[in-house]
Amino acid sequence: MTKKDKADDEFRPTGTVVILAIFVVTLIVIWATIYMILIGRGGTL
Amino acid sequence: MTQYQLSTGEKKFIGWHLLAAILAFAVGSFFGPLQAFEHAGWDLYPYLKPLIKSYYQGLTIHGVLNALVWTTFFIMGFLTFNVIFGLKRPLKNMTLNKVGFWMMVVGVLTAAVPILANEATVLFTFYPPLKANPFFYIGLTLVVVGSWVEGWGFFMTYAAWRKEHPNERTPFIAFGSLVTTLLWQICTLGVAVEILTMLLPWSLGLIEGVDPQLARTYFWFTGHPLVYFWLLPAYISWYAMLPKQAGGGKMFSDSLARLAFWLFLVLSTPLGFHHQYVDPGVPPVWKFIHAMLTFSVFFPSLMTAFTVIASLEYAGRKQGGTGTLRWIGKLNWSNPSVAAQLLAGILFFFGGIGGLANASYNVNLVLHNTAFVPGHFHLTVATAVTLSFMGISYWLVPYLTGKKLWQPKWATIQAWVWFIGMIIFSNSMHVLGLLGAPRRVPLGLAPYIPAEWNSRLFQVGVGGAILFVSGVLYLVVMYKTATNKQTVESEVEVPIAEAMQDPALSPVWLDRWSPWVYGALALIVIVYGPQLFDMIKNIALTSPGFRVW
Amino acid sequence: MSTQSMHIDAYERNWMIFGIVMLALFAAAVSVAAFGMGIQVPAPEQRVDPRTVATDPNSPWSNPGLREIAPGKYDAYILARAIPKWEYLPNEMTVPAGSTVSFYVTSADVQHGFKIQDTNANFMVLPGQVSKLTITFDKPGTYNFICTEYCGSGHGVMYGAIIVTP
Repeated sequence: MTKKDKADDEFRPTGTVVILAIFVVTLIVIWATIYMILIGRGGTL
Repeated sequence: MTQYQLSTGEKKFIGWHLLAAILAFAVGSFFGPLQAFEHAGWDLYPYLKPLIKSYYQGLTIHGVLNALVWTTFFIMGFLTFNVIFGLKRPLKNMTLNKVGFWMMVVGVLTAAVPILANEATVLFTFYPPLKANPFFYIGLTLVVVGSWVEGWGFFMTYAAWRKEHPNERTPFIAFGSLVTTLLWQICTLGVAVEILTMLLPWSLGLIEGVDPQLARTYFWFTGHPLVYFWLLPAYISWYAMLPKQAGGGKMFSDSLARLAFWLFLVLSTPLGFHHQYVDPGVPPVWKFIHAMLTFSVFFPSLMTAFTVIASLEYAGRKQGGTGTLRWIGKLNWSNPSVAAQLLAGILFFFGGIGGLANASYNVNLVLHNTAFVPGHFHLTVATAVTLSFMGISYWLVPYLTGKKLWQPKWATIQAWVWFIGMIIFSNSMHVLGLLGAPRRVPLGLAPYIPAEWNSRLFQVGVGGAILFVSGVLYLVVMYKTATNKQTVESEVEVPIAEAMQDPALSPVWLDRWSPWVYGALALIVIVYGPQLFDMIKNIALTSPGFRVW
Repeated sequence: MSTQSMHIDAYERNWMIFGIVMLALFAAAVSVAAFGMGIQVPAPEQRVDPRTVATDPNSPWSNPGLREIAPGKYDAYILARAIPKWEYLPNEMTVPAGSTVSFYVTSADVQHGFKIQDTNANFMVLPGQVSKLTITFDKPGTYNFICTEYCGSGHGVMYGAIIVTP
């Protein structure tokens, strides 16, 4: 069975949050760039 | 603490899967770079003429062997290991699993004959009315059915284990493997129906024609969850093995990991229309509904990203890592298995971004069938999955054979070379796609190439060359390991990251199958049923076959 | 204290909430483009018999080409085929800048693609189905349209052009 380490309760994944923040910014920038290409080319109906 | 031991027979059986997978990788990866070289203007196909007739025959071999055969065999082997080791019991019916495995082998060989004879140059999507030799379809069917049979063996083993352990939580690696197997069995119904009701009778001359729109719909019923069939085994390793290897880490959240797997089971099939956004015969309302479900299946991947990275951060800090990000350097990068999987994970971020763009409904108008798409899936199946599988094999092959990994340093270099080659290859493919370059075209010869594409096409060739070096290096390491005279001193330890919170404390509904399975089937019926019914009712078998290669 | 509960770290919970909001925003953005700006994916238009679509005199694709239906408004009937060679019929069309063109494309044999460079016209062309999208050409120039789905050995040479005159 899992024994809880004392360190476990104090562990805060701050680095994880920073890595994911970088990921999200990259995601939004790339996605928005492609989306703007779409918008710039106009309607299809 | 001694670990559960697999028998020699079980190790051999899993080893056969890996051998078949690696042989397929070897042949398929020889043809991958040939496409990349062609793009850069170095067309080597004329030199292969007596054996290989065309660019497209090479591309078919590359796609079938690398995307379908290498992955499926590796996965079935790895899942067999996970089921046995996770449940700590032998397979319920080893003979059944052996039958499944040999069906897959016979299937690959059966399909290989027409492919090598240039009678099935239809690429790995085999869209009708391109018509291949019947043995191509028979071979593919055998591979799929063989994988089902092996999966039934897993389910029987699980049922036996459950009887022996009525109140225990399913150990995570077995749990993830069983979910992956079930997902595969549900989603392959699409391609099974496509082949058995249309393509095979048609190629045998029993029916005159096929309905290409319906065939595409069946194909993509399987085609997208196929991606998760590839990916989930890598996720199992990232969740439950990599943190341990990287520095004695623990699984940050066992219950969220299980929830993520259930969400993949429920959500990864009912969204196949996102591969058909620009098909003429599917109403936009269904395309839109599938788009929304596609956004929702991104969610369990976001959960996975958090849990896996947090588990790694825990490992890094346990190794004395400090600062916000400096713990990354404390991870066990010198272990080739760790390096390969970490690098695979880094590139998977970009695979996810490209995938989300592809799947964003009308945004697909910018990207559909451009070079962006192979650029994207070389980050997912050819890196997140393939490089992770390479990393897994760096501990699993020594475990199975008792031979020491040959030159771990070279194995680590192999992973880095793949990483670098793939960045160059994939980045240039994405950019070319945004500029309008189509996929599946020998771009070195296409008459409409503007000069501004040339530098990118050159980079595609450079990336392909680097990847080729890495692929050869992988094969050398594997061969030298399998034939290594140095044996491991003691049994290789299977890396298993324990959960931070005892899995027994996680909610019991995370270990109940029926609500999730019925939920998955219900959702499929709701979002596929009406449109499929309509298409089948109005089926038009009006397309005769063509052999235009 | 319940022994069985879903333990979720506070950071992870916030990440999950953030993820849902972000995905909802992406969904909203594509909805605005689709329903607000008319940037839509193809809808079922018409089904045809691929065996006769190129020869039946009642089929517009037996006489493919550009038809002006109103000033500045055109219908373009285009046939994609791999036999006898890989080509679009017609493979060149000329319209003045500002024209709105509806493309009706079908295949006489295998699956093809149709992508007009630098526009949002990009769709599959299937035998038995008619693919339709409508595009307005504001800027003069030559717009290549290319085949984007593998259709046999000549796939890479299959293309045509729309010439938009000032």
